[in-house]
Amino acid sequence: MSDPNTIVEILREPFMQRAMLGGLITGSLGGLLGSIAVLRQLSFFSDALGHSALLGITLGIILGVNPMLVLIPFAMVFALTVNQLVERSSLPTDALLNIVYSSSLAAAILALSLVETYRGGIRQLLFGDILGVSNIDMIVSIILLIVALIYIATSIRSQVLLTLNTELASVAGVQTRWHRMAFIVLLAVVVAVSIKAVGVLLISAFVVIPACASRLLSRHFTLYMLVSAALGGGCALVGLLASGITNLPSGPSVVMVQFIVFLIALSFSSRPFRKKRGFAQTGLRQISDAKRNDPRTSF
Amino acid sequence: MSPVLIVRNLCVERAGSLTVEDVSFELHPESETALVGPNGAGKTTLLAAVLGLLSKKSGTVEILGQSLGQNGSLPTDVRTQIAYVPQSLALQGHFPLTVSEFVGFGFDSPGPHLPWRQRQARRAAVQQALERTDCADLSSRLLSELSGGQLKRVMLSFCVVRPRRLLVLDEAQAGLDVPSNERFQRLLLELRKQEGWAVLHVSHDLDMVRRSSDQVLGLNRRLCCIGTPDNTLTPEHLIDLYGHNVVPYRHHCRE
Repeated sequence: MSDPNTIVEILREPFMQRAMLGGLITGSLGGLLGSIAVLRQLSFFSDALGHSALLGITLGIILGVNPMLVLIPFAMVFALTVNQLVERSSLPTDALLNIVYSSSLAAAILALSLVETYRGGIRQLLFGDILGVSNIDMIVSIILLIVALIYIATSIRSQVLLTLNTELASVAGVQTRWHRMAFIVLLAVVVAVSIKAVGVLLISAFVVIPACASRLLSRHFTLYMLVSAALGGGCALVGLLASGITNLPSGPSVVMVQFIVFLIALSFSSRPFRKKRGFAQTGLRQISDAKRNDPRTSF
Repeated sequence: MSPVLIVRNLCVERAGSLTVEDVSFELHPESETALVGPNGAGKTTLLAAVLGLLSKKSGTVEILGQSLGQNGSLPTDVRTQIAYVPQSLALQGHFPLTVSEFVGFGFDSPGPHLPWRQRQARRAAVQQALERTDCADLSSRLLSELSGGQLKRVMLSFCVVRPRRLLVLDEAQAGLDVPSNERFQRLLLELRKQEGWAVLHVSHDLDMVRRSSDQVLGLNRRLCCIGTPDNTLTPEHLIDLYGHNVVPYRHHCRE
């Protein structure tokens, strides 16, 4: 099954080429935005976005239009609404996000169970089908990658300062509210676009795992973002190829490759980390109690 | 020399109640002003309003001759003259950002730009700033690896990497041990004189305030006292500010 001729044959298939390109773009996007999302403690937020996306898809099915046409605006509105809710509510962010995503997931499953024709497709929605990526999905992904690259490249200073301290960023002239919303909307759109390929349940892995692996390996911020994007794209390519060869589901295959890469990064970083733990823990003390107790400030 | 900051009859409301009431003061170049008062007195609120991070209810704030807008807006050329040192940074675990990268962000102007713009000028300014704050040996270290004292000196590098006129510190010395605190204070004094900074800082260390400040603002929602440390940090004023539980302690280092 895994002899070179079989691999070449698989790679010659147009659907596989489209899947590989789609995976590369989706993985790179997830890694790029994930690098900032992880530092800003938005990992759970991306998970909530992924779960709620199912509701957007369901709305599209019920309305009888292409689910992607509904999903992208739905994800943007959902992200901004949740952001407002988190900013204004006195409840802990993780609890609030849990309420939002479990409720929207439940509503989506209930609505889907009423749509006779879509019952069989629930597994694909949950775990993704990267082989079903269309040309339109690909074009949207490419546009999104270009937009994300331009936005992140021109706003690295703002992103870093906003992540470190909101007041520091504001005084340094960063439009904190605008950048916070822009990043959340971009993350929401990336999650929405990737959901078809990756699936509702695994989308947060695309955002979190490459970024965490890169974080273990990198010391410079720009390098950290680039390595995260490269790992995201690379893991997607390897995972999809493995999926094509073994005929296993694509989304879980990619996530397992990401997990192996994460373990390798962890083993690489563990020795120097032990030496520097004293410093790292001193640095940890610099996080104020207020900042730690109020995740809203990191949005 | 004309004042760097003029605050007149400033009132700030938070959660429906007046947190800062009718506060007026001025900050002059090369001067250090300490803002003291009990917890919940409105010190951080006052700083936030002065920096334009919070809307004011009434009154005026003028920085370098420019009035702060109701929404905290300031012209960019004035905004870049202000530096702020927060209590802490969110450096959870291994944060992939070196000291020189961080200080470089202090050099950059606000607004969108590519990171490699002005690369050489930026690098030279960062190197100079690190040397002036005794941080040259820390340039390749991660921010998250630094001790509390080192991190505060790096924050001063961030401030000194480009010319500023107003430096605001929110309990920047909190959590520092005595030698680190002394070192930070000495560095701040040197830089203030070299750069001509007007410094406004919140502090609970009355001993340090007495030794280093030119002006003290005693705040408990409204200004209870304003003047030199000798005139304001008196038993009467301290009891007025903190209540009867405070035991005023007169340090003799200044004499």
